[in-house]
Amino acid sequence: MTPALEIRGLTVRYGGTTAVHDLDLTIARGETVALLGTNGAGKSSTVNAALGLFRPAAGTVQLLGREPLAAVRSGGVGAMLQHGGLPSESRVGEVLRLVAGRYADPWPMADLVATTGIDGLLDRRTEQLSGGQRQRVLLALALAGTPPLLVLDEPTSAMDVEGRQAFWTTMRDLADRGHTVVFATHHLAEADAVADRVVVVDGGRVVADGSSAQIKSRIAGRTVRFGCTDRTGLDQLPGVTAVRGTGDLVELATTDAEATLRALLATHDRLPDLEVAGASLEQAFLTLTGGTK
Amino acid sequence: MTDLLTFQLRRVLRSWEYLFFTVVLPALFTVFFTKVFGGQVSSGAEYQDYARTYMVSMMAYGGLGAALGATIRLSFDRASGWLRQLRVLPVPGREVVVVDIAVGMLLVLPSLVVVALVGRFVNDVQLSLGTWVSLVGALWIGSAAFVALGMLLGLALEQKAAGAAMGIVSTVLAALGGLWIPVEVFPAGFRTVSQLTPSYWYAGLGRGVVGDGALAVPVLVLAGFAVAFALAALAVGARRPLHAVAG
Repeated sequence: MTPALEIRGLTVRYGGTTAVHDLDLTIARGETVALLGTNGAGKSSTVNAALGLFRPAAGTVQLLGREPLAAVRSGGVGAMLQHGGLPSESRVGEVLRLVAGRYADPWPMADLVATTGIDGLLDRRTEQLSGGQRQRVLLALALAGTPPLLVLDEPTSAMDVEGRQAFWTTMRDLADRGHTVVFATHHLAEADAVADRVVVVDGGRVVADGSSAQIKSRIAGRTVRFGCTDRTGLDQLPGVTAVRGTGDLVELATTDAEATLRALLATHDRLPDLEVAGASLEQAFLTLTGGTK
Repeated sequence: MTDLLTFQLRRVLRSWEYLFFTVVLPALFTVFFTKVFGGQVSSGAEYQDYARTYMVSMMAYGGLGAALGATIRLSFDRASGWLRQLRVLPVPGREVVVVDIAVGMLLVLPSLVVVALVGRFVNDVQLSLGTWVSLVGALWIGSAAFVALGMLLGLALEQKAAGAAMGIVSTVLAALGGLWIPVEVFPAGFRTVSQLTPSYWYAGLGRGVVGDGALAVPVLVLAGFAVAFALAALAVGARRPLHAVAG
């Protein structure tokens, strides 16, 4: 079976800056994948190029074995864009019916409305929707053709906490029904909670790719924290992969907490407020992307 | 394509401002100007001249306003992200453009027909049936120049500028083109400026059809404007795709 998404050697340039460098990514059918990265990491450029919104400087993209636009037109791919929107002077139901009518095999309207949680909004003017409601209507548009593949670019950015939770519950249901879900996010908690695979993007490159557990284990999942004013030589200690923290509080990311601690105790008389903890995905992420962001 | 056409027509017709400025206002002006100026003349023949001229001018005013208003809106759909959204839905961009042009052309008709009806039944303008049909038909086809101008502005302008352009462009074109106040009472310099506007020639087309002037020159000049606007719109569209958010 062809992969849901196959990106080969993707390079995206805007003027003089390169947003995506020679990126390769293959996503199998049925996977739920988070593209995790900070703003400007290249997530949106990757997603937009994958959807055929512009022609990349180099590389190829195949969605379900087809060119992006062909895949979109056939209803194989549903997408939520960061800068997508709804038409003014129209009602939600009118927009939805226009789009659904374009597909050979549309998602049955009543079920689509229930699945995306937009009951009661069909007669509403698009200008009168809240941020969260708008995103759910856009999700309904993305799902209208019953697409096997869903591509979402920061879908929860305009939502409050409750809206987010409801949205991701819907996403997990869709994944359970067999949809491939690929979403870009800078919310580590979302990636951790929803995705069964996390692809960390930074500087237009994939810097890590695995389950969130694997991402954590790549830095062995430990943080050593203590009070210290002099940071010289800390980055040379055994196992240490990054030195962080603010002010007098030092945070060492380490692949070998025991070796790091032994070396610390050998060189420091006092280690006030010493703490050793498992790394969160957030810390793993910071380490992977250079530790300073 | 009819689904998108119906959808777009319904959107434009929801805007009461649109209907007011393109149908109601030209119809009211037709009555008002004719009563003010036509009421001062003594003979019936002179009254006919006034009534006919103002009706043609107001048909041109309503027609160009409707053509511009229906098409400049394209800019709003870019700003809202709807054009970008359509790119990831099975609605080709080419179809969006074709439908917007069709909407612009179709919505010119109510303005032309309503003003013509007001001219005939309120102001008692006398024309043969063939001339009535030719007049509406010629001004309908001639409105293509303003549909092209509207598409050009809609593609090129940002939302705020487009919103302003909707009112300003049709007002300026109407005033300079002599649609409100006849060119004959303009100072000589203004008259030259007037002849540089497509609106002057658009009304000239109508005057030509009802026998108040030559027909060939307005047809040629208006066709020239239409081609120039259409080429410019194509150039802007090629440089800046429909789904581009900015730039």
